[in-house]
Amino acid sequence: MTLQVAPPDVTTPQDEAVVDRQSGWVLVAEQETRDLWTSGRGLILLFLFSILLSGVTYLTSTNQALNFLEQRESVNLVLQLAVAVGVLVTLVVSADGISGERERGTLESLLVTPVSRRSIIAGKLIAALTMWFATFGITIPYVWVLARDVGILGQALALGFLVGTLVAIGLGSVGLLISGLCNSNKTSIVASIFLLLILFAPTQLPSGLPQGGFFDVLLRANPVASALAYISSVLVEGQSWTEDLVLLITPLLTAIIAGGALVLAGERLVKLTPGVNAG
Amino acid sequence: MRALIMIVLLAGVLTGVPAPALADPLNVRVAADPPVVSTVLGGHFTITTEVKNAGNAPTGEILAHLNVASIEGSVYVDPEDWSSDRSQQLSLKPGESRKLSWEIQAVNAGLFAAYVVVVPFGNTVNGNEDLSTSPLIRVDVAQRTTLTAGGALPVVLAVPLLIGLAAATVLVRVRRRRA
Repeated sequence: MTLQVAPPDVTTPQDEAVVDRQSGWVLVAEQETRDLWTSGRGLILLFLFSILLSGVTYLTSTNQALNFLEQRESVNLVLQLAVAVGVLVTLVVSADGISGERERGTLESLLVTPVSRRSIIAGKLIAALTMWFATFGITIPYVWVLARDVGILGQALALGFLVGTLVAIGLGSVGLLISGLCNSNKTSIVASIFLLLILFAPTQLPSGLPQGGFFDVLLRANPVASALAYISSVLVEGQSWTEDLVLLITPLLTAIIAGGALVLAGERLVKLTPGVNAG
Repeated sequence: MRALIMIVLLAGVLTGVPAPALADPLNVRVAADPPVVSTVLGGHFTITTEVKNAGNAPTGEILAHLNVASIEGSVYVDPEDWSSDRSQQLSLKPGESRKLSWEIQAVNAGLFAAYVVVVPFGNTVNGNEDLSTSPLIRVDVAQRTTLTAGGALPVVLAVPLLIGLAAATVLVRVRRRRA
């Protein structure tokens, strides 16, 4: 990313302070978002995401084996998939945030701009979150197709948006932390995807397996699994929004802890490291 | 003749030959409710069975097991799909009864029989015990198509097409800019 602000030799310390305090993160967020969407990178991810959702929605509405599902379960299936994959692409974009700049040799030019490193991180997180918001926007017509006849469209969309945003903030922050710690962009992305696979694993366990106290602990300690379980409990089991709220503690804690770690370690994460291609 | 039998039995006792073990009869009665269930494909329903120890001795460990069978046509039934929790272990004192609930989802359309069978449980089972079975519950599952391909097709095709076009346009512009 090349941030379009005045070069440091022509700005006064007062100017720097203004950019830093008031609009530094906005500038970074704008520039990063523009890079993501005008380079085509975001649209390609969105295209693949829409193909996946189309496939699942079509199967849900036509396949005889799946059609026995209650319509609420079909909505739940598509919404969970949208949240899971939407969070995955957000994580992938954020995992590229710092290590990608290092590898492309653009971090150096970013560091000489009068923008604080915390602002850089905040801007990059917001840009990564636009990926989540875009995937959620794409999800709306699919959920509409499935949920319009059962009167849960508004509930499903509000639930998916709130829970998904919470998980996306948490895992987007984790992705940036990993990106800041890794010298190689490949390592950062692979580590982030591997982390997400680990988090998804408990959601894929067959329902026939014995699910005792240990499984409950595993479920509640996992931000992705517990967020998806919360969606199911409201959408399929008809629980009120406050009944299983405890399931959202881990996603909330993940967002707070990972976000806090980004704020605290921000100055040390955004740095040039020796041995990395400087372009 | 009686004297002969007595001598043989006495000889058996004195020589320590073990007599063949006789299985304790499982004097359990099982009632089921409701007798008929009508639902649609994918519908959830619950049946309740009441297991009662009608004997004078404790039942020991027993296992109530739910089964589902098709009683019309040639529909393949996998009971695992109908209910993920099909066994419940219990023990009853004389005269005691216990209500057991079974949550079921109808995953095939057609006419089915659901029933619960009670079997003795544990490694003391000999293999010749009688079983107790509940009355049959008739499950009538109507076909239902909740969604149609026609309703989903416009969205399923239009969304990727529009995004694909947008992505292609952007990529062409980027290439032109670079060239």
